Amino acid sequence: MARLGMVIDLKKCAGCYACVAACKVEHATPPGVFWCRVVKLESGVYPQVRRIPLPLQCMHCANPPCERVCPSGATRQRADGVVTIDYGVCIGCRACMAACPYEARYFLAELKGYYDGQGLAPCEELGYSSNGYVRGTVTKCNFCVERIDVGREPACVANCPGKARYVGDLDDPESEIARLIGNRGGFQLHPELGTDPSIYYLPA
Amino acid sequence: MEANEAVVREDVWIPSACSMCYSNCGILGHRVNGTVVKIEGNPDNPVSAGRICAKGLSSIMTLYDPNRLNFPVKRTNPEKGIGVDPKWQRISWEEALDTIVARMAAAMAKDPRTIVFLRTVADTWSSAFLTSFASAVGTPNLWLSGAGPHCGNGAHAIYGIVHGAFHNQVDYDHCKYLLMFGCGSGAGAHYNATLAMGAISEAKVRGMRMVVVDPMLSPAAERADEWVPIRPGTDGYLALAMLNCLINEYRLYDVEYLASHTNATYLVGDDGRYVRDKGTGKPLAWDAAEKRPKAYDDPSLAKPALLGSYRVDGAQACRPAFQVLADHVKSYRPEDAEKVTTIPAATIRRLAREFGEAAQIGSTIEIDGQTLPHRPAGVLFFKGAQGHKHSFLTAMAIALLSQVVGAADLPGACLGSNPRCQGFPATGRPFWEHKEGPDGLLMAGNWVGGHPPSSYNEPSKPQSMSLGELVPLSHGTGTAFTMLDPEKYELPYKPEVHFIVGSNVVMSLTEVSAIAEALKQVPFTVCYSLYLDEVTEFADVVLPDACFLERYDICSLTHWAGYANSAIIKEWSYYLRQPVSEPLHERRFRNEVMLEIAERLGVTEGLLATFNMLNQLRAPYVLDTQRRYQWTEMIDATLKSYFGPEHDLEWFKEHGVLRWPKKPQESYWRHFTRLRTPIYFEWIPALGAKVEALRKELSYGGEIDTRDYQALPDWKPCPSHEDRSSGFDLFAFYYRVPFHTFSGTYNNAWLDDISNLDPATYALSLNTETARCKGIRDGDWVWIESIYGGRIKGRVLVTEGIHPECIAMANCGGHWSKYLPLASRSGKGACFEELMKLDWKCVDWTVHNFDLCVKVRVERV
Repeated sequence: MARLGMVIDLKKCAGCYACVAACKVEHATPPGVFWCRVVKLESGVYPQVRRIPLPLQCMHCANPPCERVCPSGATRQRADGVVTIDYGVCIGCRACMAACPYEARYFLAELKGYYDGQGLAPCEELGYSSNGYVRGTVTKCNFCVERIDVGREPACVANCPGKARYVGDLDDPESEIARLIGNRGGFQLHPELGTDPSIYYLPA
Repeated sequence: MEANEAVVREDVWIPSACSMCYSNCGILGHRVNGTVVKIEGNPDNPVSAGRICAKGLSSIMTLYDPNRLNFPVKRTNPEKGIGVDPKWQRISWEEALDTIVARMAAAMAKDPRTIVFLRTVADTWSSAFLTSFASAVGTPNLWLSGAGPHCGNGAHAIYGIVHGAFHNQVDYDHCKYLLMFGCGSGAGAHYNATLAMGAISEAKVRGMRMVVVDPMLSPAAERADEWVPIRPGTDGYLALAMLNCLINEYRLYDVEYLASHTNATYLVGDDGRYVRDKGTGKPLAWDAAEKRPKAYDDPSLAKPALLGSYRVDGAQACRPAFQVLADHVKSYRPEDAEKVTTIPAATIRRLAREFGEAAQIGSTIEIDGQTLPHRPAGVLFFKGAQGHKHSFLTAMAIALLSQVVGAADLPGACLGSNPRCQGFPATGRPFWEHKEGPDGLLMAGNWVGGHPPSSYNEPSKPQSMSLGELVPLSHGTGTAFTMLDPEKYELPYKPEVHFIVGSNVVMSLTEVSAIAEALKQVPFTVCYSLYLDEVTEFADVVLPDACFLERYDICSLTHWAGYANSAIIKEWSYYLRQPVSEPLHERRFRNEVMLEIAERLGVTEGLLATFNMLNQLRAPYVLDTQRRYQWTEMIDATLKSYFGPEHDLEWFKEHGVLRWPKKPQESYWRHFTRLRTPIYFEWIPALGAKVEALRKELSYGGEIDTRDYQALPDWKPCPSHEDRSSGFDLFAFYYRVPFHTFSGTYNNAWLDDISNLDPATYALSLNTETARCKGIRDGDWVWIESIYGGRIKGRVLVTEGIHPECIAMANCGGHWSKYLPLASRSGKGACFEELMKLDWKCVDWTVHNFDLCVKVRVERV
């Protein structure tokens, strides 16, 4: 069985936040919830200074600490490695949020819309119901399973204007992502934690 | 039961065109049971290739923003002013149009020039229609917001003269060294924003070195291999010093290119003019083989001299234009440049050498069976570099870098954005190409606004509010001045009706209070707008516009060439904008409404005639000026005229896009033409002399400065560089972020949330050491006060990524309209324009660009 993974090339990332918006429009996530986000890392002292945009999301770890602590069994790992949450089962205890070292999870304290006090926009109304959001549960990136299961790339990958994102099979040494990781020095975030993330980065 | 089964569950993807900025990306809109649920890039349209930016992706939140204006309104409070509630009252479309038509008819009866139109550069596709409407009404007064702070008049003029195009791009596909001055290409601004991101990404992985000169570690500079911080407004000095190094220190210049594609060989006399053949009047060159002068295009001219000093017919010594340039730039020593720009002299020398060597002078490349010169060193500049007092001269200096190393309109180099189009193969239309101007020099053939910059242009006494007659190299941007004080400018009329189309000019031009005063001078103002935004505080009637997801549109050819289908795309792609949603509520698309207004005013005939001309319509598809058309019928005729009867509106509605290959003769036209472009701008002082003569006849002539009409560039200080006011120790400027377009996107909830994620967008960026010296900490609120008296408040982001003499903010934050509840919350950035001054001393009179260099002082709140 293939193990799905993603490579994000920091040399190609334009820091444009289009992945954040592509994820929003794909999943209609509520205000303040970012399955996919970008942080800017500044280093050095003027004038020798660099600022690197670092896209972050659920790492779909091979050894997911969130799954281990989930008391209800809502957080599960698919055979292809994708870590999912079943909102119908989640009890909202938030143990997974404490366990996740990548701060990839969000608690849906309420399901309000973006235009506060003005009701849900039609696209939000439809999006909240088609994504099955439930108040009082935890949510995060689902690797666009609804897209990959019909042969489409995740929204953030397909749309990335900088062409910085790749998706593929980590277990296949001939896959594009495996070759990129090998040739370009691909790395995981916090490998010392033993979570073995499925998201790899290529150096800027 | 049967009835339920008959209900069709709708689930459709509709190809269309984005309009969240001027890139006009090809999109697909996903509609489910009447609700638009998603916008994606259209992979079948090379204009996006399926990848769009955060703004386009978020556009459904503009479609469904509950704060949109959904019906016509009129003011009930006669007092107009910033923050003064107009006390809007809902009215019917009928009442709104009756009022507007009555006011326009009265104004037309008086003098049609009293009607003034205003549009925005963010909506490029509306240009041909709105120009047709204004022309039919009989007014020359159609102005643009964006022509001030957001536009590139100096760049456009020089690009037109040197590259035959309104815009430029870099041929990233074949580039190895990219040098950008104050430009956001590849970082979500500039043209074909997302395609440039991808092209730069691939070039970087291939090994292209990217160097960005900018006072700030901007989104573009973040991507670069090297950020070169510079004092604002001094890019011209850097370019001149680099030219000096290239020509006089390293001798890195392309002899063959200069001799055959430029006027470098033309002999120039002590008077600065060409030395001409007495018989033919043609400029002379010196044949070093025969040691005598010949006409520049004499086929026997074996060895034209680029350097040296010669005597023709015993007259005074003359020099080839290239020698004049070489001598001119000698005084721009890197050591002096260091003092002005703050960039170390050693860095300037290194950049010059790197750039010159990267051009690979003499190398060739094979593309589509053609062997072409390969000059993989691309220079690009835009607003940041040339948005200053001496815009034109700065643009000239930077453009000469490309010319000297022969890196212009060839593979890997800076490309004019489509100065040549040979048309769709089956029809040969649309068609344009550059023309031959005087002295073998090239003139642009496709130009926004009609007349490209050339020595054919004659200045005249202004009759239009833009004062464009006094700016023959560019577009006039004087309307705010003349609107504020019509008598002063000797115009034979005063504006009666201001028709504002999608432009929040009060926040996006310059000095907010002065623009507000100017707007108040016009007795009747109608805004056609998505929102009750800040400019509507000066409107009498506001009409609810349909956003781009609710309307039909096609691109006018001038804008297609440079904005939508820019030179980085190696394919032609013409495409349709069509509704993904029916217009919601009582919103109506303005072109349809304007056709109705035109009919009621009795000017339809003129509108159709101008539309025919601007869109190059050909028989049998020329619109019959006696007939009456829907907007969609006009689109249908235009499409068939370009692409044949089978490619009508219905075809485009289904397929969305028609594409065909771009030939090397189009992309890399320079190699295929004998027409030349200047390295010595000989005719410009003569043009300046004509403006100068005119200036003396005008009562306000004292404010006009013609000194920048020069044949070669110099660096001159902005007013801010010379200001010594005590305590005003920082330069303030604005920059573009990838997820906002001017002021129109700040109430989009998703873009607002993304702006919250980004550390800088809603903050004022200040250098760490500067902040420490001032006792300002990260997150502190500060007042910024400019030398002109404007004050704004904001939260500071302390960062190493900005020049220590600067404070910077994203453009067009700091809204205040209560009808934009998200945008107008406290802490949503600051309005840079509050710091500026509507004053001619802040305007470049050669191209009417506004200076964005403003000295400020900062103190904690």
